[in-house]
Amino acid sequence: MAGIKMVDVKKQYPNGFVAIENMNLEIPDKEFVVLVGPSGCAKSTALKMIAGLEEISSGEMYIGDRLVNKVPPKDREIAMVFQSYALYPHMTIYDNIAFGLKMRKTPKEEIDKLVKEASEILGMSDLLDRKPRQLSGGQRQRVALGRAIVRHPQVFLFDEPLSNLDAKLRVKMRTELKKLHERLHTTVVYVTHDQVEAMTMGSTIVVLKLGAIQQVGSPLSLYSFPSNRFVAGFIGSPSMNFLDCTIAEENGNLFVDTGAFRLMLPEDKAAKVRDHGGKEFIFGIRPEDIRKRREKKESYSEEHINAKINVIEPLGKEMYVNLSAGNLEFMAIINARFPLKPHEEVELTLNMDRMHLFEKEGEKEAVAHTAKNATTLEGARLMADLDESDDD
Amino acid sequence: MTTNLPKPLKPFTTAFLGFWVFLAAFPFLWMFLISFRAPVDAFSFPPKLFAPITLEHFYTVWILDGFWKQALNTTIVTLGTVTVSLTIGCLAGYGLSRYRGNLGFWILIIALVFRAMPHVVMLVAYKPAFWAMGIWNRYETLIIVLVAINQPFTIWMLRSFFVNIPEELDQAALVDGCNRVQTFVKVIMPVMWPGVITTGLFSFLLAYNDFLISSQLMSGDHMTMTAALSNYIFSDDSLAKLMHGVAGAVSITIPLIFLVLFFQRYIVAGLTHGAVKG
Repeated sequence: MAGIKMVDVKKQYPNGFVAIENMNLEIPDKEFVVLVGPSGCAKSTALKMIAGLEEISSGEMYIGDRLVNKVPPKDREIAMVFQSYALYPHMTIYDNIAFGLKMRKTPKEEIDKLVKEASEILGMSDLLDRKPRQLSGGQRQRVALGRAIVRHPQVFLFDEPLSNLDAKLRVKMRTELKKLHERLHTTVVYVTHDQVEAMTMGSTIVVLKLGAIQQVGSPLSLYSFPSNRFVAGFIGSPSMNFLDCTIAEENGNLFVDTGAFRLMLPEDKAAKVRDHGGKEFIFGIRPEDIRKRREKKESYSEEHINAKINVIEPLGKEMYVNLSAGNLEFMAIINARFPLKPHEEVELTLNMDRMHLFEKEGEKEAVAHTAKNATTLEGARLMADLDESDDD
Repeated sequence: MTTNLPKPLKPFTTAFLGFWVFLAAFPFLWMFLISFRAPVDAFSFPPKLFAPITLEHFYTVWILDGFWKQALNTTIVTLGTVTVSLTIGCLAGYGLSRYRGNLGFWILIIALVFRAMPHVVMLVAYKPAFWAMGIWNRYETLIIVLVAINQPFTIWMLRSFFVNIPEELDQAALVDGCNRVQTFVKVIMPVMWPGVITTGLFSFLLAYNDFLISSQLMSGDHMTMTAALSNYIFSDDSLAKLMHGVAGAVSITIPLIFLVLFFQRYIVAGLTHGAVKG
């Protein structure tokens, strides 16, 4: 078993393009880590560098305690599952799974035992004589998994393994992969562009953008305490609302002024804004932190916003509502039992404890909680908050 | 594709295509027919559809004139050319398909330039050089020259087949414990054989059909079939001699027809291959 450590890892292509600039990342042993980011963020490149399929231009890469910069993939004790599965088309499923063991000169009886074992775990014992082209997408996915687990590697690398499956199967395989991780208890590095997949599977998520790490943390800490506007917008669906705003002061209280509405900042946030000293920010609020005003709740803003409903997307339990106030447009998630209609005016209140302010330059979170708070105290409160919002 | 045609049009297309095939194949069919006839019957006017059959011309050509020797020469040269150009082509094509730098592009362009040159251009240089080195009129020499002519094409074609094999397959093999050579031999080549067959066939045809180079570099006992055949066709001393030529031409064509019929699936796949997958 082994963790992974990247120290100042850089990837520059021969044409001069820098894909990854000084990446520092430590992945603890037995952790399920997800690298997530939009296309072009070099997440696959990072994964292939761990695998040894891409050379490292500079920096150091460790698997366990071993420096692996110059170690070829076959000696890194890793297994990889590819997006296209990359099964060997000319071999039977049995031979596909056994190939890695054969290359390592494992005795025949042991190969047989291990392949049978792996195929049983994945429930495909009856497919062993077939060729890959005779299998469905989901089955091929299993074979690719089998090929990886049969070798009992130190690290599993997954390169968007579910993106070729249909939506239903993807959800199912998500759970299965998580179960598999529980069972095998091995370090997993999982690459995906899908933030839902990242949130549901990872114990730690690494958000990447253009070859640079934006934030590392647990799913909920990224969700509640994004360190910059990119992470805030990338994690969560529908994504956070961003509105330009200025800070106004009145009677010793600070207000967020978006032009269309003005909201008082809670004390702790106000203090942080004062420390920061900035006047212009981007105001961020998640759709579920906007509610229809019925009765005032403690953390919700005293002032209400009048907004006009543009579009309603009912989802059963709740509905996504596209609203406009003045010339601003934003999204709210509202409990489905409210009888809302398009073009109606509604009164809304915002959960000011869960709002964010991002700097206009650099887009960093300006009123962020400290890292300690983010993972412990606030995390606990966040959970309580989420529970509460259910019975709204 | 024809399934989309309006129904009444179908018989017309069939008839037209049938007529076209007949028109195109007629010279060959006629050649085949008259190669079994005495000269009198072969060139009678008006032409006769049925005439007595004789194997005399084939006997003269193959046994008396020693065409079997030339057939053997052609076989050696063709197989040699195919083997060498496929070996080099697979290695180069695989390398170029996986190489990401700019150099690969320029190598391919240079190869294309050599491919575009008329073969005779290089012959002018080859012939005196080979003569001086004393390696004229040898199988190896002809094989080398034919490989050189053929190689740009085989590299291009094989490369495009290799490009269609996803790189993830290489990577899977590398992670599974192969080095580069093992990856190539155990994982890539077994998937590549349709490409190898198609390309092999094209280079076979080139070597087999080559007249220009073969006729210039080989003579006497080492002459190939195509070169030998020209001796019959260009001589006008007698009808009998011309008939021997016809028999020789039929002998050369028949293996080709079988070859193409047998492998046509791959040839079509090879020709359309770039078009479909880009």
